[in-house]
Amino acid sequence: MLVSEIDMITPSSLSECLMLLSKKGRIHRVIAGGTDATVRMKEGKWRPEVWINIKNLNELRYIEESDDCIHIGPLTTHTDIIHSPILQRKADVLVDAAREVGATQMQNMGTIGGNIGTASPAGDTLPALYVLGARLELTSMSNKRTLPIEEFIFGPGRTVLKENEMITKIIIKPQSPNEIGIFQKLGPRKAQSISIVNVAISLTMEQDLKCREGKIAFGSVAPTIIRARKCESMLPLGQLNDELIRNIAKIAWKEVMPITDGRATATYRRDMASALLERGLYRLMRRWNNQ
Amino acid sequence: MNTKWVGKRVKRIDGPEKVTGELKYMTDYHFDNMVWGKVLRSEYPHAKINSIDIEPAKNLPGVICVLTHKDIPGFNGFGIVVPDQPVLCSDVVRCTGDAVALVAAETLEIAEQALSLIKVDYEPLEVVADAEYALTDSAPKLHPDGNLHSHVKIKNGNMEKAFEEADIIVENTYYSPRQMHAFIETEGGWGVMDDEGFLTIRCPGQYAYRDRMQIARSLAYNPERIRVISSPIGGAFGGKDEITVQIYLALLALHTNGRPVKIHLSREESVIAGIKRHPFKVQMKTAAKKDGTLLANQVKAIGDTGAYASLGGAVIALAIEHSCGPYKIPNVDLEGFCVYTNNGIAGAFRGFGVNQVCMGIETHMDMIAEKLGIDPIELRKKNVYHQGEVSSVGHIVKSSAGTFKTLETAENCDLWKNRAKYKSEVSEPWKKRGVSVATSFHGIGMGIGLPDYGAASIELLPDGTFLVGVGCEEIGGGNSTAYAQIAAEMLNCDISNISIVQGDTHRTLDSGTVTASRSTYTGGRAVAAAAPRMTELLIQTAAEMLNLDSSQIALRPNHISAHGEIIPYKSIYKYLHDHHQTTRVEGHFYLPKEKEEIKGSGGAPHHLYGYLTHVVMVEVDTLTGETEVLRVVSIPDAGKVINPQGLEGQTEGGAVMGIGYTLYEDILIENGYHKTRNFTDYIIPTIRETPLIETFPVEEPEQSGPFGAKGIGEVVMIPIIAAIMSAIYDATGARIRHLPATPERVFNALKDLKKQKVQSTR
Repeated sequence: MLVSEIDMITPSSLSECLMLLSKKGRIHRVIAGGTDATVRMKEGKWRPEVWINIKNLNELRYIEESDDCIHIGPLTTHTDIIHSPILQRKADVLVDAAREVGATQMQNMGTIGGNIGTASPAGDTLPALYVLGARLELTSMSNKRTLPIEEFIFGPGRTVLKENEMITKIIIKPQSPNEIGIFQKLGPRKAQSISIVNVAISLTMEQDLKCREGKIAFGSVAPTIIRARKCESMLPLGQLNDELIRNIAKIAWKEVMPITDGRATATYRRDMASALLERGLYRLMRRWNNQ
Repeated sequence: MNTKWVGKRVKRIDGPEKVTGELKYMTDYHFDNMVWGKVLRSEYPHAKINSIDIEPAKNLPGVICVLTHKDIPGFNGFGIVVPDQPVLCSDVVRCTGDAVALVAAETLEIAEQALSLIKVDYEPLEVVADAEYALTDSAPKLHPDGNLHSHVKIKNGNMEKAFEEADIIVENTYYSPRQMHAFIETEGGWGVMDDEGFLTIRCPGQYAYRDRMQIARSLAYNPERIRVISSPIGGAFGGKDEITVQIYLALLALHTNGRPVKIHLSREESVIAGIKRHPFKVQMKTAAKKDGTLLANQVKAIGDTGAYASLGGAVIALAIEHSCGPYKIPNVDLEGFCVYTNNGIAGAFRGFGVNQVCMGIETHMDMIAEKLGIDPIELRKKNVYHQGEVSSVGHIVKSSAGTFKTLETAENCDLWKNRAKYKSEVSEPWKKRGVSVATSFHGIGMGIGLPDYGAASIELLPDGTFLVGVGCEEIGGGNSTAYAQIAAEMLNCDISNISIVQGDTHRTLDSGTVTASRSTYTGGRAVAAAAPRMTELLIQTAAEMLNLDSSQIALRPNHISAHGEIIPYKSIYKYLHDHHQTTRVEGHFYLPKEKEEIKGSGGAPHHLYGYLTHVVMVEVDTLTGETEVLRVVSIPDAGKVINPQGLEGQTEGGAVMGIGYTLYEDILIENGYHKTRNFTDYIIPTIRETPLIETFPVEEPEQSGPFGAKGIGEVVMIPIIAAIMSAIYDATGARIRHLPATPERVFNALKDLKKQKVQSTR
C-alpha cells in the first residue's frame, strides 16, 4: 500500500465513527494525534486502506469528576492532562507522567487513548494509570464493556481491542488527600526520549511517616507494565525512612524481567528498577515530610 | 585600535531571514516541472555484484530514467584526497551506504518503488567490522593496496631514556564514538541542465569549486559549463565537505530533458550514507618528572575510516600532530593508522581527529597532577609552549599562542575559584558534583603540502552599496557577518551598505574550503586585501570626476568629500558605468605556511593554531549514572575577536556539541549494519541538556590575520570532552575511558569502583 493511496475519513461524531469501525471490507485504522501512527506509516508498518481520523472528535476530549471517579476522554492530550486542576490535585502521578512524554510538541498532539492503544512497554502514562487503578470503557456499535487496564494490554502493542471497538473512556480512582504519587523516568537524556526504565508510585500515608499501602508499577522492564507486588507489600512494614526505602528498592530487581536492546542492557535495566524506586520513594518521603 | 564595526557585537546579517524562516534552503525549493531523484544503496556491507537488472524499474510508469555505473560518462569515483569511492558501484560494494543505481521519477513515491524493482545479484563477502582486525593478514583486502589507508609517525628525542628517568608514568587506552554531524538539513539539492548544456547544481557544500571539479571529472564535462551554488546551508560541521549528492544530481540532470531533479536524503538514508567522525582507539603513555615537567609521550592511534578514504588520512595526521596537547614534551613517539573497514564512511568533522586524542593527553595531565599533588592548572601552565618555543612535535611556534593566558583566566574564573562551594551544593544526597579543567588547540588552515589561499571580490552597485563576494560558504558559523564587518570597517561605511554573496562558482572567486577553522581568517584577510583597492577605485574615480588630485579626496562615512563637495557612491557607480569601466575589485591572499614538514607527519606543522581552555561542572546521579553538565566556562584565544556575539555562538554551540560527544552520541554499527537508524536512537543534547555557558576570550592578536584574528570554529568543542570526563572522576572517583559516558557506562564504572573498595578492605 502506498501512502498516497491511503484514504482518510473524518467522522463528525462518535456514533458515525463507531459505524465506520463496524464496516467490513476495507482495512481501517484509527488515528488520533498521530505521534505513533505517522511514524509507523512512514516505516511501512501501518498502511491501512483507510485512516479513520478522530482527532477532532471533541466529545471524547474531557476530564470530569463524578461518582467518586475521574473520567478522562481518550482524546485528551498530554498537555490537557498537565494543565488539568482536577488531575493536578487528585492524580498527580498521571500529571507527572504526562510531563515526561516526548517533548512539548508530542504532548500537544499525543492523546492518552493513543498511548494506551499503542500499548508500548515503554509508554509513559501507562504505569501511572496502573497505580491509579484505571479502567477502560470500550465501545462498539452494539456493545459497551469496561475492564481494568491490566486486562486490556497483554503484550507489546497487543490489546484486547476488537476491530469494531474503540476506547471511549478512561476511569480512574481519585487520590485521597493523604495519597501522593510520583513518576520517575530514566531515558538516554532528559527531553524527547524513550524510557529505559520508568516507574509510577502512589502511596497512602498515615501518621508518623508510615505508609498504609502503596502501588508501584514499572515500565520498560517486561513485555507489559508490571506491578511490583513484593515491594508494595513491604511498604507498610515500618516508618518510611532511608533504610526501609533502600531495602524495598533492593527487592525491585527481582520483580522485573527486562531485555537488552539498543538503549540499555538487561542488567542495567534491572539495576535501574531499584535505583528509580529508591529515588522515587525518597522524593515522596521528602515531599510528605515538607507538607 | 579604534574601530567602528570590528570587535563589536554586530547582529547576524543573515539572522532575521533565518529566524523567521523566510530563508529558503536549497532543499526547500520546489518547481512545477520538477522530478525526484533517489539513490539505490547497497543491501550488504561487503559483497560482489554479479549483475544489475534495471529493466523492471525502467518500465514502471512515471519513471524517467534509471542509471548505473554504465551511464557515467567520465571517471567513476570521488574523494577529496584519493577518489576511491565509486559514484555508482560496478563490481563490489564496501558499505551499506554505497550507491548502486539512480532513479528519477515523477514523484518521490514512484522513485522509491522503482528502487525496489532494481534487481541486484549480490554475492556477500566477509565483513571487516573492526579496524584492528582489518590490519591482520586474515582480513579480506577492501582495496587493492590493502586495508591500511595511511600511516603517520612522528618521533623525537630518546623515549627509552625518558621513560627510565621518569618519576611517574601513566598509561591508558581510550575509545571514542562514531559521532554524526546531525545537521538540521540532510544532504540534498537539485540539478538542472539548460538547452545549451549548461548545468546548474544547487547543493549545500563546503567548497563549491572543488565540488564542481569532482562533478566535472565524473561527467567528463567542461567545469566552466557547470555552476555550483553551495550556500546557504542547513548546517554541515564537516559533513558536507566531501561530495554528498552533487554527482548524482548532475548525472540525473543529463537524463531529465531539462527538468530540474531534486534529491533530498531522508534522515535514515543520511545516517547510513553520510560521513561520520572516525572512531578511534588511542593508547597513550605519558611520563613526567616529580616537579611536573613532562618528559615523554607515546601515542598509538587507530582510526576507523570505514569503506573509503575521504579525508581519513588527513584526520589521522592532524590527530597525531595534536596528540601531545599544546605542550612542550621533548621525547615523543607518535603513530597513527587510518584503516579501511566496512563500517560506513568516516571523514571530516569539526575537530578533525583532535577530539579523539585530546581526551587522552588531558586525562593524563589530570592523573599526573593528582599523583604529584600539583594543581592541574599549575601543571599545565608549567608545560605549555609560548610563542617562539618548540612544540612537542618539534617545531618553533612562530604564531600567537594564548594557552597560558587562557589558563590564567581559568584560574581566576568564579567557577574554578569557588569550586569547593559549588561542589557542595548538591540537591539530593546521592548526587555528586565535580569541577575540572582541560585545554586544547587546533590548527588553522591546511597543513603543509596543500595550497591554501583566499580570495574576495568587492563590487560597487548602482545604488552605491557594496557587494562582497567570498567563495567560502555561510554554513551557519557567521562568517558572512564577519566579512561584512571587515568590509564596512575598511570601506568606512555603514554595515547596511554591505551585502554578501558566498558559495557560488559564478559569482564568487575560489577562496578554498569552509573547514579547518579557516574561513574567518582566510576570507576575512581576502576581504581586507580587496577593500583598499575599492577605496582606491572610489578615490581615483572621484578625482577624475572632479579634476582633482587624489590626495585632495577624502573617504567619509558612506560618501566621498572633496573641497566641500559631497559625492555619493551612486554617482561614482554611474560615472564608471558610463565610461565602461569596471566597478569590481579583487583581493587575494596566500596563507602563511611553515617551510619544513615534520618527517612522517603527513602535513604537520600548521603555521597557526587557535587555543581554548574549558572549565566545567557536572553533577552525577550515582543511583542511575546520569551525568548533567551544569556549567561551562569557555576561554578561547581566537586572536582579535571580530564579533563577540559570533564568537559566543561558536563557543556555545561547540560546548553543546562536545557535551553530546562525551555523554550521548554514537552511531552503532554491528557487522557492517547500522543499529542506530535515526534521531530516535541517536541522542543529541536538547535545550534541557544545555547548561549555563560563559565565554571569556583572551585576545592574543595574530599579526597575519585580519585585524589580528585567528580561527576558532573547531577547538570550541574539544577540551570540554576531557574536562567532562575528569569532572565525572572528580565527582565520583570513577574514570570513564570509553565514550560516550552513557548513564549505563558511568553506573558500571561506579559499580566496579565499589567492588574494588570492598576487595581492598578485605
